[in-house]
Amino acid sequence: MRKKLKKGTVSSIVAPVLFGVFLFVLWQTQVLHQLFHTDTFTLPLPSRIVTIIFDNLSKVMINVQATVIVSLCGLILGSLLGYLMAIIAVVFPKGGVGGLNVVSAFNAIPIVALAPVITNWTKDVSDDASVRSMIAKILVVMVVCTASMSVNAYRGLKDVKPFSEDLMKTYAAGKFTTFVKLRFSNSAPYVFTALRVSVPSSVIGALVSEYFAEYIIGVGRQIRENIVLAQYATAWAYIVVACFIGILMYAVLMIFESILLKHRR
Amino acid sequence: MKRAKGFLTSRGMITVLWVLGIVVIWEIGAFYIGQVKRTPENVLPHIYQIIESVFSTKAVSSGQTALQVVLTSAGATLTRAGIGFLIGMACGFILALLMSLFHMVEKIAFPYLMIIQMIPILGMAPIVLAITHDIGLSRIVIAAVLTFYPVSANTLAGFKSVEKEKHDLMYLCAANKFQVYTKTMIPSCVPYFFTGLKISAPMAVTASILVDTLQGDGGMGCMLSQSLKHAMSIMVFWQLIFFSALIGILSFYLMGLIERLVLRHKPARELRAKEEAE
Repeated sequence: MRKKLKKGTVSSIVAPVLFGVFLFVLWQTQVLHQLFHTDTFTLPLPSRIVTIIFDNLSKVMINVQATVIVSLCGLILGSLLGYLMAIIAVVFPKGGVGGLNVVSAFNAIPIVALAPVITNWTKDVSDDASVRSMIAKILVVMVVCTASMSVNAYRGLKDVKPFSEDLMKTYAAGKFTTFVKLRFSNSAPYVFTALRVSVPSSVIGALVSEYFAEYIIGVGRQIRENIVLAQYATAWAYIVVACFIGILMYAVLMIFESILLKHRR
Repeated sequence: MKRAKGFLTSRGMITVLWVLGIVVIWEIGAFYIGQVKRTPENVLPHIYQIIESVFSTKAVSSGQTALQVVLTSAGATLTRAGIGFLIGMACGFILALLMSLFHMVEKIAFPYLMIIQMIPILGMAPIVLAITHDIGLSRIVIAAVLTFYPVSANTLAGFKSVEKEKHDLMYLCAANKFQVYTKTMIPSCVPYFFTGLKISAPMAVTASILVDTLQGDGGMGCMLSQSLKHAMSIMVFWQLIFFSALIGILSFYLMGLIERLVLRHKPARELRAKEEAE
């Protein structure tokens, strides 16, 4: 049984890696270019992209830092706000659920509509363009992350095991104690479900909000600026970096989840 | 039934109250901005100003009124988003089917699906444009790619959620693979399929608008960036913002409506359980 399991996991790692290598070879040998009817100018070779990243590493890192700060701050603030909304909705079910509906409607508003408006609103926050555009970007990411957290956390706080609530009652636990001991810990897996959705969308939100920000910084903005200048190789380098940010943040989340939820499995 | 109806209207009322609250906050903000700013309509116009501009007959751009500008650009954007959405939907479903039929395909494709989700595809918009060389086509491609992931991931989850008992029953009935899929697997994955559609419908609209901002050829994003640069009345900008928000929300509810029509014959109990799970 154990051997079989191991064989399964090995093939599930090897197969995609082989496929990736296959794609990489196609790309490097320009078969991909013929397939898409394009040239090495618009679709640069991987070797060139990697060279560009390492040649401009210091500049790349400045932009990465800006994007990561925005997406992390927005993610944390948005998740906290979403959780708070969920708590309010559980404590005051009548008014709160309507609020949740409104929040999830906010989620359907395109980021492209949100970003310029919030940039407009935050013009007076600070005299420094870098600070105020940073705040605007964080606010956009926050709005993006709030909805999934509030909906999932509400479910987590609400869906406790049928008899556990009665059990708390027989212990003569107050509403507050029930909340902390039962509902709060029950919501933990749901919080991670929400984060799995909102970590990638926080990165995407940060990239898109950079397009509309005043101050020119960030990975997303660099992609756009370099496209406008027709420097496709540099733009590709930033795209690769953006992918890495997304994948890395997701991996960190997975590690956190496996550590924190270890006792539940 | 009557009680359920009463409950529904009361819930609707609360949502309405929330929306009213937001409107009130907006108006208070608009009054405040109106006193401290020289051009308040750039930052936060009154809602009646926006509504007024919708009905005004003054031409703002090449003989078109603000509303006409918004509607023609929205038509262009939505057509592209819609085509991309349909293509992405079909591809997503087919890939999910393949992944469920052949285990090897799932092993190879699923990690890449996860990565595609991680790639800021909206950030890749310029590159797709560079490859396709056609702005209309690249908008369609991006809308399709964004639709693709949620649909196929959710549909695959739907295929996997089929109970073992159903498989056993089909086995007992000596059903072949085709029958297993058409009789049990596909019908039971439909709710999951629609969950994917609900996630991806607003995303397809967003993608289409975003790619508009990169190049001309009409579309909402194009008008958005032009009016933001004051190439035409700023009210066009506010109308576009509200309109795109409305489209995003409506596309979500439209999917819910279609789902309800398609799943009409399903027992209400299953639907309710699913709604609660959403």
